[in-house]
Amino acid sequence: MSETALRHSPLHAAHAALGATFAPFGGWEMPIQYADGGVVAEHTAVREAVGVFDVSHLGKALVSGRGAAEFVNACLTNDLRRITPGQAQYTLCCTESGGVVDDLIAYLVGEDEVFLVPNAANTAEVCRRLAAAAPPGVAVTDLHTDHGVLAVQGPRSAEVLTALGLPADLDYMAFTDAEWSGRPVRVCRTGYTGEHGYELLPRWDDTPALWTALLAAAEDRGGRACGLGARDTLRTEMGYPLHGQDLSPEISPVQAGAGWAVGWKKPAFWGRDALVAERAEGPARRLRGLRALERGVPRPGMPVLDAGGRRIGVTTSGTFSPTLRTGVALALVDTSAGVEPGAEALLDVRGRRLRCEVVKPPFVQAHVR
Amino acid sequence: MVPEELRYTEQHEWVARAGDDTVRVGITDYAQRQLGDVVFVQLPEVGRQVAEGDSVGEVESTKSVSDIYAPLAGEVVAVNEAVVTAPETINGDPYGDGWLVELRISDPASVDGLLDAAGYREKIGEV
Repeated sequence: MSETALRHSPLHAAHAALGATFAPFGGWEMPIQYADGGVVAEHTAVREAVGVFDVSHLGKALVSGRGAAEFVNACLTNDLRRITPGQAQYTLCCTESGGVVDDLIAYLVGEDEVFLVPNAANTAEVCRRLAAAAPPGVAVTDLHTDHGVLAVQGPRSAEVLTALGLPADLDYMAFTDAEWSGRPVRVCRTGYTGEHGYELLPRWDDTPALWTALLAAAEDRGGRACGLGARDTLRTEMGYPLHGQDLSPEISPVQAGAGWAVGWKKPAFWGRDALVAERAEGPARRLRGLRALERGVPRPGMPVLDAGGRRIGVTTSGTFSPTLRTGVALALVDTSAGVEPGAEALLDVRGRRLRCEVVKPPFVQAHVR
Repeated sequence: MVPEELRYTEQHEWVARAGDDTVRVGITDYAQRQLGDVVFVQLPEVGRQVAEGDSVGEVESTKSVSDIYAPLAGEVVAVNEAVVTAPETINGDPYGDGWLVELRISDPASVDGLLDAAGYREKIGEV
């Protein structure tokens, strides 16, 4: 995609004013880090105080009409019957062969309304697949630029919402519709950092004013603006998959350890037959955590070797963990290698061997509840 | 920030005369800002003979990895172990405590062939 085709968040000018470094992400030009911050400082702010992220590039789509929830439940993997209206759920849009078109959050508004937040790059495809399958009376509407998305994450996030008069007392994965300055904003107790946090959905044009107010309240509490660089190190520490790396059309939820987001007892969802079969047979490879035992930084696409130097897998995500101050990675490891948590494996870091311990993520304890 | 008294390379390294035939090498302030938080540094063995342009180590940030190149031919005579244990020093003091290696150079006059401060400022668009 050419530079000129990149889309911009409603906060682009605000990020530029904060000296942001930008990078293309899913077709959008988004802030990676800010001039007075940096990935480590921004990451630490979220773990210790509060960070405010612009994630307006995330998709938004509405499935509405009589039986909308039932329709979505027959397409996406997770079971919407596990939640009630006012709750959200992590779910997957799979192909019939069990690959993952996207992972997304589904907000159950009511029997006739489900609001979806897919990844930026996949929104159009998720909408296309749902629209093609929708029965008469159910409409699928791509609302990508109707709403901005602001994430407020960290142990002091509730204080920031309270300071703005927004509802903060929500259970994990619950949401409610509120008002700020007389304008509608959906407040969700969701996030991608492993901390107590919220994702706010203002209208697109209301997003800059809300951002400014949230940032001011966060800065009063030791918080700051955070870019997508910190978002990636935070989610990697939690072992949360990133679509396109740890989940993809070639990596099934059974392989990625995302079987918890599949409603196995449901009679129908896209990819059901393939996934049920893969689960029964056992996956050929499995996503594992690797924690470096020596100095070195894992990156995606690095070969994983057993103690004897035989190739047994490949990393899908990898970074330096600011919290642990060591390298961490997610890797697809051949099941036949018999490498279980507690075992040692090697990473081939540009020709150098990096000793790692195989662990079950998260690498850092979650505080979402 | 491009100190007047140093020499520079196209690979965003600085070179300072340390003795008659030795130089100290590090990465520039511009380079550390482009990299972001440095979290890992790998340096060469003391005693290694290097040709100009050889990769002698790595500087890695939360975002990306960069090679460290020998700016001139010579022998590695010292490495800064302090940045190995505290890589963030490179962000905090790239021209001082964040130095990387010292070389005994084969041709002491070769330093004069490197970019001067004005030439490097032009390269990075800081004029």
